[in-house]
Amino acid sequence: MTALAVKQALEPDLFQEDFAAHAANLPGAGLSWLDKRRAEAMKAFNATGVPTRRVEAWKYTDLSAALSDTLAPASRVRDAAEGEGAFADIPGARVVFVGGFFHAAEGSEAGVEIFDLSTIDASTPGWVRDHLGLLATGAEQPLGAASLALMRSGAAIRVRSPNAALHLDFLNPFRRSDVVSHTRVLIAIEEGGSLRLMESHTGEGTDQTLANIGMEFVLMPGAKLEHVRLQAETPAARHITSIGARLARNADYRALYAALGAHLSRLDVRIRLEGEGAQASLRNIAAPHEGIADITTVMDHASPHTTSRQLFKSVVGGTGKSVNQGRVLVREGAVKSDSHQLFKSLLLSPRAECDAKPELEIFADDVICGHGTAIGALDDDALFYLRSRGVPEPEAKELLIQAFLEDAIGDFVDPAVHGALWQRLDGALKAMEQTER
Amino acid sequence: MSDMMLEIDDLHVSVDGKDILKGITLSIPAGEVHAVMGPNGSGKSTLSYTLAGREGYEITRGRILYRGEDLTQLAPEERAAKGMFLALQYPVEIPGVATMTFLKTALNSQRRARGEPELDAMKVLKLVREKAKTLKIGEDMLKRALNAGFSGGEKKRMEILQMAVFEPKFAILDETDSGLDIDALKLVAEGVTAMRAPDRAMLVITHYQRLLTHIVPDRVHVLAKGRIVKSGGADLALELEAGGYEHVMEDA
Repeated sequence: MTALAVKQALEPDLFQEDFAAHAANLPGAGLSWLDKRRAEAMKAFNATGVPTRRVEAWKYTDLSAALSDTLAPASRVRDAAEGEGAFADIPGARVVFVGGFFHAAEGSEAGVEIFDLSTIDASTPGWVRDHLGLLATGAEQPLGAASLALMRSGAAIRVRSPNAALHLDFLNPFRRSDVVSHTRVLIAIEEGGSLRLMESHTGEGTDQTLANIGMEFVLMPGAKLEHVRLQAETPAARHITSIGARLARNADYRALYAALGAHLSRLDVRIRLEGEGAQASLRNIAAPHEGIADITTVMDHASPHTTSRQLFKSVVGGTGKSVNQGRVLVREGAVKSDSHQLFKSLLLSPRAECDAKPELEIFADDVICGHGTAIGALDDDALFYLRSRGVPEPEAKELLIQAFLEDAIGDFVDPAVHGALWQRLDGALKAMEQTER
Repeated sequence: MSDMMLEIDDLHVSVDGKDILKGITLSIPAGEVHAVMGPNGSGKSTLSYTLAGREGYEITRGRILYRGEDLTQLAPEERAAKGMFLALQYPVEIPGVATMTFLKTALNSQRRARGEPELDAMKVLKLVREKAKTLKIGEDMLKRALNAGFSGGEKKRMEILQMAVFEPKFAILDETDSGLDIDALKLVAEGVTAMRAPDRAMLVITHYQRLLTHIVPDRVHVLAKGRIVKSGGADLALELEAGGYEHVMEDA
């Protein structure tokens, strides 16, 4: 290790300085329960600071090196730009964030409460206090911890309806300087409640802004969360979302994540299958051609008869890099756990990179756990087959790339989501194709 | 235009630097069906891939004329647009590509390359349904992804369906009989026979004689060690069935 590296590691980083200077003025400062959770989160973050490659869970994704030297805490954007999320045509209530700040809640859904976390104070509903800041934090999710410790804004949502739909539209307007925003989202779904969540991150500009988001999903017994997430900011954007989810008995979490644009994006997911019969199914698609798209998950089977499925597919072109890390933990006593994870990547250019790291830790008997990884180029046999039927090479490649991704999408979402996703995906694949020429 | 559909002259082909075809000469006139038979490793599939233009099959000597035109510099899709069709021994499964989408894309790619107007989705669907009926290919098969999870017989029928939809001038059937039970074999053979026409030629590549009792060829050629060692009429296939390849090769 060089002397310089030691010096950097010892220096307080931006987040620590921010906390030292502004903790007393953050939303909800002075509420003892929140102060305590923020202080614990800051302590957890300090164990690593902004991770470098020396932190094992971040060895393929050097966040520290990717951050702008002039990064400063974000303030609210005045004259907020108008815009809409990627799933705008699909009905549902809408929470709009602009530049990481709660901007508006539009429409209403029966059985859905929405609370603006920028206004958190002593009158805040009890259910927010019961849950906020207990997930998506801790030393294993250092950026999640930072998003709690430094939270400037966010939303807390409680769902009691058995069929609610909600959009989270994160609009990121152009910033004149590079800033970092810390946003929290808490979603608590009561017993028997069900939510269809459509989350999108879109942006414009060339600033190297970091969006740091922590999301907490609390699923009570039998609760259901169907989550579609599209992260499609600018090629200069830095994006970290940490998700912490807790699933009670027979709760069901189904998610399709898509990472389509950022200099660096990381989705850091920890799911705890806490009650018997809980199940989680995750799909991820990524199509980086100049930046890094990282998905890192921990699937924690803590009870018997829990099920998890993970299918991650990435198409990597240009100088892009895809990182797929998944740890499955089956705790003592979590018998009859059933887990499977499969990571598949297509490398389209000689400089494209993919790092895949599936891990299994099993402390229970009588479980089914499987994992697989495949990284390769487009299948020559399939390409020849299509061409021999008259399909020109560029179109044949396009068809095969679409098919590769469609495999993770087709059977998982309804036609409306499917159409909205493919509209964005087609754009991303076209941009990738340009770089291959 | 020559009334010869295909003229292969002293064709030498190597794959990964290894010589596989060592001087094949073969002419197929329009309207005829020729069979190429041969033991495993004789170069049958190399011949079909070379004709279809697959990368990695290097022609080191000789030439291939297709309707009087030298094919060797053309990409597979260009050959397809000119009316060549290769039914593969092992059709590729492509999960995620809907069969109908594929058929429409391929048919219209060929039409576009020939300067013909493209067909809209409804017209393609109508055409495909009409052809599918005779091959006993149901709506359910057309709705699935291309060949994904198809049985061996279903894959071969899908190949013949494509041949019927694309209406090629020259079709190569590479071991289309392999892996078929007798009913599927008859169905496939009927599909192929129905396409015999004065302006179309076919090359049927097979290891066994049984397909040739249903698709009676005009000529039979025996391929061994990269060369055609014997040619004859349809009877030659029966002779091979009775005496085996070694017997014929000793004769040659």
